[in-house]
Amino acid sequence: MTKELEHKFVNDLEQHQNIVHKVCKIYTNNKDAHNDLFQEISIQLWKAYPKFRGEAKFSTWMYRVALNTAITLYRKSKRTIKTQDFDSVLYKIESSVYDDTEEEQLKILYKAIYHLSDIEKALIFLYLEDKNYKEIAQTMGITEVNARVKMNRVKNKLKKILNP
Amino acid sequence: MDQLELLKKDWKNQESSLPKVSKEEISRLIHKRSSSIVKWIFIISVLEFIIPYLTLLFTGYDNKSMSSYEKIGLSNFMTIFYVITSIIILYFIFLFYKNYRSISASSNPKKLMQNIIKTRNIVKYYIWFNLIALFVVSLIVMYKMFNSQVFMDSLPENTNMVMIWLVSIVVIVILVVFLWLFYRLIYGTLLTKLKHNYKELVSNGVDKL
Repeated sequence: MTKELEHKFVNDLEQHQNIVHKVCKIYTNNKDAHNDLFQEISIQLWKAYPKFRGEAKFSTWMYRVALNTAITLYRKSKRTIKTQDFDSVLYKIESSVYDDTEEEQLKILYKAIYHLSDIEKALIFLYLEDKNYKEIAQTMGITEVNARVKMNRVKNKLKKILNP
Repeated sequence: MDQLELLKKDWKNQESSLPKVSKEEISRLIHKRSSSIVKWIFIISVLEFIIPYLTLLFTGYDNKSMSSYEKIGLSNFMTIFYVITSIIILYFIFLFYKNYRSISASSNPKKLMQNIIKTRNIVKYYIWFNLIALFVVSLIVMYKMFNSQVFMDSLPENTNMVMIWLVSIVVIVILVVFLWLFYRLIYGTLLTKLKHNYKELVSNGVDKL
């Protein structure tokens, strides 16, 4: 791959890196794991870049590659801290859920999201990115009906975790 | 849902707090080694293709084995068997390569998972083919061997042939099952998470909480 292509890619990625960071934020819970996933997504983007012909927006294409890497391709490194089991998290949430400062609420929300499944994380991520059901369906490769059903289910699941 | 709205608001305002990676750092990162499962699937699949074939060639198709096949009148059969097996194996490798090439991180997550599962399924069919071929050929070789004069002469009188058949078949079945379990172990470790995610993505029924 030519230097020119690499230069162009590095510029594009640097400009749109927030998308990758946000995916990492949803899928990881510490700095090392974040950096590991960021690295793997960058590698996958670079490997797929020569075939990217601008048929979609660069950012749309990035969403796909980044989510694919997080859901399917990435093998967690040994440095990634093992996740706590679900019950202990629920317990912690229960005991602190009435703390009503916004910051505390957000912490709990992010913690709850981290314990969703890979697919649920992707859906919540796309919801937070303000994608409509059509875009979510296209990005994930599922039907719009399926996307709606799944999204409602994830929201309900979060609701139940947050308000036990 | 108020809490999710709060989260969305925070999500939109987080841009400034996200890490910032420089161009130099990105240039360095993209040349690092990938830890993608596709790389491992490729390496393991290639090994799975090569090992049974090499085992077949080195244990069955050498001079010593061929002369023993000749003694029981199976040398032509074995030569034809090796030729046909080789053609089928080449076809499997072609299919595997074709499917492997279709795995792309740019496809949507559903398509990507489908392509990976399809590629691994080629390896699964290949393993099945090997195990069935191993079983059938062993039966034929045993049948010819047990009916050959040399073998009959070497047996003590009053040998129970049914027992010999039974023990031999049990040994082969154990071998085949063992190889199959070993393969399932590799297959399982590679694809459990992926298959789970795929099922979850395509399913639309009422899910557990």
